[in-house]
Amino acid sequence: MESESFSHHISRRFNAELEHLRSEVLRMGGLVEQHLDTAVEAITAGDSDMGLRVSNEDHKINKLEVTIDEECRKLLATRMPAAADLRLIVMVIKTITDLERVGDEAAKIGYLASHLATDREPYASYTELKALGEHVQEMLHDALDAFSRMDVDDALAVIEEDKLVDEEYDQITRQCISLMMEDARTIRRFMDVSWVARALERIGDHAKNIAEYVVYLVHGRDIRHTERETVLQELEAAKGDRPASG
Amino acid sequence: MPKVWTWTLSWYGGALVAGGLVGYLYDRTTLGVLVVGLGLLAWQLYNLYRLERWLATGEITEIPDGDGVWPPVFAKIQFIKGKVKRRGKRFRKLVKELRASTEAFPDGGVILNSRHEIINYNQAARVLLGLKNRRDRGQRIENLMRYPDFVDYLNNPGGRQAVDIPSPAGGDTWLSCRLIPYGPEQMLLLIRDVSQRVKIEKVRRDFVANASHELRSPLTVIMGYLDALAEDDRIPDGWKQPIGVMQDQSIRMRRLVEDLLQLSKLESGQSVPKDHVVDVAAMIAAARKEALALPEHPDSIEIELQSPANLLGEETELQSVVSNLVANAVRYTPPEGEITIRWTVDADGGHLAVQDTGIGIAEEDIPRVTERFYRADGGRARQRGGTGLGLAIVKYALRRHDAELEIQSRLGQGSTFVCHFPRDRLALS
Repeated sequence: MESESFSHHISRRFNAELEHLRSEVLRMGGLVEQHLDTAVEAITAGDSDMGLRVSNEDHKINKLEVTIDEECRKLLATRMPAAADLRLIVMVIKTITDLERVGDEAAKIGYLASHLATDREPYASYTELKALGEHVQEMLHDALDAFSRMDVDDALAVIEEDKLVDEEYDQITRQCISLMMEDARTIRRFMDVSWVARALERIGDHAKNIAEYVVYLVHGRDIRHTERETVLQELEAAKGDRPASG
Repeated sequence: MPKVWTWTLSWYGGALVAGGLVGYLYDRTTLGVLVVGLGLLAWQLYNLYRLERWLATGEITEIPDGDGVWPPVFAKIQFIKGKVKRRGKRFRKLVKELRASTEAFPDGGVILNSRHEIINYNQAARVLLGLKNRRDRGQRIENLMRYPDFVDYLNNPGGRQAVDIPSPAGGDTWLSCRLIPYGPEQMLLLIRDVSQRVKIEKVRRDFVANASHELRSPLTVIMGYLDALAEDDRIPDGWKQPIGVMQDQSIRMRRLVEDLLQLSKLESGQSVPKDHVVDVAAMIAAARKEALALPEHPDSIEIELQSPANLLGEETELQSVVSNLVANAVRYTPPEGEITIRWTVDADGGHLAVQDTGIGIAEEDIPRVTERFYRADGGRARQRGGTGLGLAIVKYALRRHDAELEIQSRLGQGSTFVCHFPRDRLALS
């Protein structure tokens, strides 16, 4: 799709290059999503091979990040983009950093899953982790969808979701603490569990970042570290005077 | 010439001649013809003007009349207009019916152009893929369906008919996606909900894996005691033979359980990464050594290495491919027969062939010998220690290495099992 914000270039090649860049980012996103899915499944299924596979294949994501980064630099140098195009490239550079971090966290989860799978104990279903994992998977998926559709409303919804993820994380932490106090022999395992929860919570933050970049891309407003009410007001005001695009 | 034209031409000709005659009376022949000619021209122009207005506005419903050639012209246009209108109506109805039927279709369909941009989709596709109404037209499909397997398939379908991927709309839904190119520029993406099938397969796989796993521990205990009993001097001689049989059978059972476990692992079907180099020569040598250690084996087991190339993949799995093929050949080849293990590389890729001069396989059995527990000749293989799973393991292990198994065989003359590895699985030194 040639999105309206960068559809009117004299150079059609530039359009194609930007379009390709977008697709590459989403391809990387797809790979990261798959790693996260596998990592979460490794936890719930108690499959150590699966977990190790994720942690061993992290280099694929890193390689993609380097390639896309290089492509961005080339575009900046040769095309000297302005306005919406510049925002897209800046946004891409930030997004791939976040995606790469998500990949790292997924690798960490995979590694911890292989740990958790080895000591078989009755408490092995990890339902809370599964719920948190699914929540975070959905956030990442929606953030990337919002990027591919350039949909601000969906992006704002993702940002809102992050609060719920934080709450779930707090709950798991509290639960782990009380279980550790009950039986000191389980401390090691629940340390691992809380590390997994921590990694998932971080992935939620990265998904939120990506959603914020989408708002920045479409409206040209930086909404990081801003209260939701202020953001909504600002966006309402911005509807009248959209930033010069193109 | 149609009658109307003869009539018109003669009428106009007559009018011109009459004009000329009247002019002649007043000694102005040319002027007479000219006046009548101009009058006729004006009349034609007027009719032409009415025709143009009629066609342009389309408001005037009745046929403008005229004379000479005009009435038939008007009538014909009227007729064509009506036909076009009726045809348009028919087409609109047809399109509506077609759309209604594609909407009712239980499988999803997405029409893509050559750049993978979504042109159109039906209701089922919208639900299965979580597309947004209207807004997602023009979006590239891989931007929304980011699952790596799908993106690979889209860019390079290769020989694959379809891929199974989790639905981007979330949940436990699995979709089978199939790409059908049509016309020069477009393709149809067919999407079918296969969650049920995937779920059943998983349940079956898990069951086999769990059952085998659970069977292993009691079996170990039984085998331990049997070993102890066999070595105990206090056991009466009459029991020596039954205990020996029990030992043999429990060894067979353990092998069966191990094969089942291995098979359930291999069945997951994911392609093995290409990051390990596996030494083909060493692998073949190991398989030969194993075969020679069997109690009964053919005298001659030859190795023909025609290429120094190695393979990329998982060593244990490839080793079990070669070992199973060789063990299979040994099982069906008489002691005076011959077995040849051959490794060749050509433009298509690598070929690992295991050829024997054994009993061979009947033609109708060839497609079925890789099925689990399928036996071409009832009891024979069982006596010789086969589990019935060897070739199934070979098939699945090869599939994980993007390779294919080809079986050539003639009853009584021997069989050749060839594994065809694609070029990108080769490590050419």
